[in-house]
Amino acid sequence: MTAYDVSSARDELLDPVISMRGISKSFGHIQALRGVDLDLYRGEVVALVGDNGAGKSTLVKILAGVHPQDSGTIAFDGENVSIPSPAGSQDLGIATVFQDLALCDNLDVVANLFLGRELGHGPLDEEAMEQRSWELLRQLGARVPSVRVAVATLSGGQRQTVAIARSLVGEPSVVMLDEPTAALGIAQTAEVLNLIELLRDRGLCVVLISHNMADVQAVADRVIVLRLGRVNGRFRAPEMSYEDIIASITGAMNLGDRKPDSGGAK
Amino acid sequence: MEAHRRTPGSQTSLREANRGRIVDAVKKYGGLSQIELAGLTGLSPATVSNIVKELSGAGVLTTAPGTRSGRRAQNVTLAHALGLVAGVHYSTRHLRIAVSDASYTVVAETHMPLAKDHRADSELDRLTLLLADMLESAGAGMLDLLAVGVALPAPVDQRTGTVARRGILRGWDGVEVADVLQRSLKRPVFVDTDANAAALGELRMGAARGKNDVVYVDVGDRIGAGLVLGGRVYSGHGGMAGELGHTVIQEDGPPCECGNRGCVQAIAGGNALIQKLQTGNRGLKLQDVIVRAMAGDSDAIRAIADAGTAIGVATANLSNLLDPERIVIGGELGRAGELLLGPMRREVERAVLAGTRFAPEIVQSQLGQNASAMGAMAMAVDRVSLNADETQIATSQIATTQIATTQIAAEEHRE
Repeated sequence: MTAYDVSSARDELLDPVISMRGISKSFGHIQALRGVDLDLYRGEVVALVGDNGAGKSTLVKILAGVHPQDSGTIAFDGENVSIPSPAGSQDLGIATVFQDLALCDNLDVVANLFLGRELGHGPLDEEAMEQRSWELLRQLGARVPSVRVAVATLSGGQRQTVAIARSLVGEPSVVMLDEPTAALGIAQTAEVLNLIELLRDRGLCVVLISHNMADVQAVADRVIVLRLGRVNGRFRAPEMSYEDIIASITGAMNLGDRKPDSGGAK
Repeated sequence: MEAHRRTPGSQTSLREANRGRIVDAVKKYGGLSQIELAGLTGLSPATVSNIVKELSGAGVLTTAPGTRSGRRAQNVTLAHALGLVAGVHYSTRHLRIAVSDASYTVVAETHMPLAKDHRADSELDRLTLLLADMLESAGAGMLDLLAVGVALPAPVDQRTGTVARRGILRGWDGVEVADVLQRSLKRPVFVDTDANAAALGELRMGAARGKNDVVYVDVGDRIGAGLVLGGRVYSGHGGMAGELGHTVIQEDGPPCECGNRGCVQAIAGGNALIQKLQTGNRGLKLQDVIVRAMAGDSDAIRAIADAGTAIGVATANLSNLLDPERIVIGGELGRAGELLLGPMRREVERAVLAGTRFAPEIVQSQLGQNASAMGAMAMAVDRVSLNADETQIATSQIATTQIATTQIAAEEHRE
């Protein structure tokens, strides 16, 4: 490996993959986001936490191309981009797994993974799709008995795994997970948390929305707290504590109270 | 995996490889039906059926009739006629659980990341649920469990059964872990420090097999040592033996969590390393440091080498005190291999009185991240065979199944 290779590999890790500046969004007279700045890097897990209505989902939906922002800029790998539609978001390399997973219960795992982007022209290349499905699921260490069973028969953890595997079909660089561990049993939660670590170790940026502080603390490298549409706290793993995060979520502590250098994205 | 199988091409080696595939799959996924096995391994259902029949004849697998999606199916699990033991390792940021039979054939494994400053109450509840789940997947119940070994990332006082020093593992202070767990599991539970457990693990089935005087050095967020003296794990009067991380090597060094200055842990522990390398806003973990070093990043290589030197100084002092035959390096940073071991070896060989020729060998852990969980398992096996009568009979049977399980052991070895 030449010296040049090393430096370029490091630059890729040091520069944010997504950089959001001054993002605002309102729905009618409700201001959901007010001037949010956020940097996301490759190979890290960023948790977005906050009370209901704090703006977490709105922020994710802007990145997912569901809503366009009212003002502010989004840069992807240093270039300003607009994300007009979910397809645009996918093309950029942002994959989103929503809370309801949006799986088709009556279709099998392969059909779900490749829904809308089936392989093969004319007749579908079922064999290639099945192979790729196994490949993806094996990479994720998924415990799915067969890829030809209807998704309805799978457990909660397995469904979550299939949804995450589907997000990886397009080789994204950012994966956003909305409440991935809600409504999962303890063993399935362990599975999903391991999966998040695996994605991170493969150099993906994982954005995690969760209300479960134990899960957030277990996997997150950084925690961004949103409150009433503003960023009210930024914490980095070594220095975060339950108390600080909860204080920021409730507003007992504001970003201004903390040292400006800690865990910030700016 | 396939790349490691040596004998090429012959019919027998193919059959052996297929047997390995099936045993691996059952080990990884717990109980499976034969059809699912066929799907997972890519073998034909007929081959699977033949091999399963053969292996259950040899006592490696057991089959039980069950149903899958409403159809009759043969449910295949690993054999565990002698009862099971569980090994649990809570590290600072991770939970690992392994369930094995009395001859250390692992039948189920789980691991998951944990929050920083995890707390005893919620984690022990989680353990109870996870264990029940794992036992079920292995086709067993809580009653099949002979004993549970638990390894904690803090010194454990065997007299009280609690963490020996307050403040190291804050969420677990004053909790009598064995008692609490015994009450919820209704099975015997034994607790020890993770470095001690890992030392026992390496002694029984890893890099320290057949040695009598061994030091296991656990390098990660914490730096600790497990001492094996005269073939037995030595934990000291109050469980505080082997706290290598709190050897002072620099009198005016950085402050340590223990209140002293210049402890090895404050200089070469995981947090110190991360702080040294942290640039920008991106979160950094110990594993990233290793990955960066392996990829040739000179800053990361330097940081690991410096850590190796610092730990080497402390280890050299320890070697002069105890004169071990072998030093086994494990823990999260132990995975850095020679990047860490090289500088350590240099320091130890330089400072050991016995001279370079008789200096202890420094080797990497064989069990890796699983060392403490496997050791906790060994701890459970050791203690339970002393206590329970039924296992006295069982141990004589182990010899017979051992023959059948050597094959699995050989598989494991190649991984």
